[in-house]
Amino acid sequence: MSEQTLQYVDNNSFVHRADALSKLILVLVVVVTTFQLTSNDARGIMLSSLLMLAIIFARVPLASVLKASPLIFGVALLLGMFHLFVTPGQQVLFTIGPLSATQEGLAKGLGYFFRLSIMVTASFLLIWTTDIRELMVGLVSVGIPYRYAFAIFMALRFLPIVQQEVEAVQAAHAIRGRASRSPLAHRFRLWQRYLFTVIVNGLRKAENTALAIESRGFGAYPTRSYVKGFRWSTTGMILVILFVSLGAGLIYWEKVILGL
Amino acid sequence: MTLPLMLVVNIVILAVLGLIARFVKIGGDEGKGGFNFNYSTSDLIILAVIGAISGVINTGTGIVWNAANSAGGPLAGAALQGAFMWAYLLAFFLIRKPGTMLIVGLVETSIEALLGNPSGLSTLGWGLTQGIGAEAVMAFCMYGNFGWLAFALAGAAASQFGTVWTAYLFGWDSSPEIVTQYWQAAAINMISGAILSGLLGFWLGKMVERTNLLRATRRE
Repeated sequence: MSEQTLQYVDNNSFVHRADALSKLILVLVVVVTTFQLTSNDARGIMLSSLLMLAIIFARVPLASVLKASPLIFGVALLLGMFHLFVTPGQQVLFTIGPLSATQEGLAKGLGYFFRLSIMVTASFLLIWTTDIRELMVGLVSVGIPYRYAFAIFMALRFLPIVQQEVEAVQAAHAIRGRASRSPLAHRFRLWQRYLFTVIVNGLRKAENTALAIESRGFGAYPTRSYVKGFRWSTTGMILVILFVSLGAGLIYWEKVILGL
Repeated sequence: MTLPLMLVVNIVILAVLGLIARFVKIGGDEGKGGFNFNYSTSDLIILAVIGAISGVINTGTGIVWNAANSAGGPLAGAALQGAFMWAYLLAFFLIRKPGTMLIVGLVETSIEALLGNPSGLSTLGWGLTQGIGAEAVMAFCMYGNFGWLAFALAGAAASQFGTVWTAYLFGWDSSPEIVTQYWQAAAINMISGAILSGLLGFWLGKMVERTNLLRATRRE
């Protein structure tokens, strides 16, 4: 997956303006609700609502959603097909060689397809609309020790450096030995070498960084200040209330009206 | 078999692996160990760097593993199941403090989710369960056994305990056939975890040790 497809781009939409913690709560609400739902109609409504929120209200470019769709729906589709053929049932829909797809399998397969698609769409919505640094500041504001949140900050800081280094080491190996065409055992040895090179270089940088930030007084105080602080937003609250209402409505519809 | 029962059996497996690690001391490299939760800044940055490196490397493997598991069930992805936790064990080898493997697990899976793991933020579930699995084995050893066997067992435990989250997420408790496959895959999961995570993490740790970078990271 390209970085362009799955990255935060601030387009100042209604969803982007919501605070990061509310959006995290929204994801949790969606996931918990999805596991409570029993009908595929209700799951379908939840997935459609999320896609609508992403495309219309968050104004995530359709191209990004389409590019990410193999990730959103690919594994979910495979999982759905697995359950379609593995679930035993009475009413056979069709057969492919030794595999039989049943009505019960179709219902179960669709259920798992929707369940995983909803969880991944909700996750991607959070990534598309939230600066992860804001999310970490939010988590610190609700009690996560800042030293641990800092580990995530640092991982994000090191991420592009690590990606560049992996590419550089791979290229260096390819120049020296045509790695892409070499036998599997040789490629495994090359993989070991580049992994080790990347780790050693990373550890060296980690040591230097630790020394540098400690010498600036990191960890001296129990709390830490941030350039951009965290505060709860009204738009965030509205989003959470909307999805809690949607979830409660769908559960009520299933249990009371459909009697499932 | 229901999911809670699968969880209980997996906890028993963790306990058995932990007890073996505690009482069978092969490849003995005893350290000070103990429950010291005081992480230095250097420790935290090393955790972050290892988490970032493994996140980048595991994202590609994660796509293949997700496809294999979702399309083929528990047996299809079992051989690759153990390929994700080498960084947990490497971090523990370098830092030697309780919680190291769990923190790396969470950092690494967060990075995977951000880079495009097909399971989205639910990837964090694997970081949590696999981290707990590895931590449990090392806790049985009071975080003081740094021999290859303890690392292999921790890798095996992490690999197997991670399947609890997979079973929940992918619905592997939904029919007796899949549950049978799940238990058939257990041995493959553990062997894969022992080799591709435990022994690989241990070997990488030993290699890093030879570079003398450890002067700054191991404080005994």
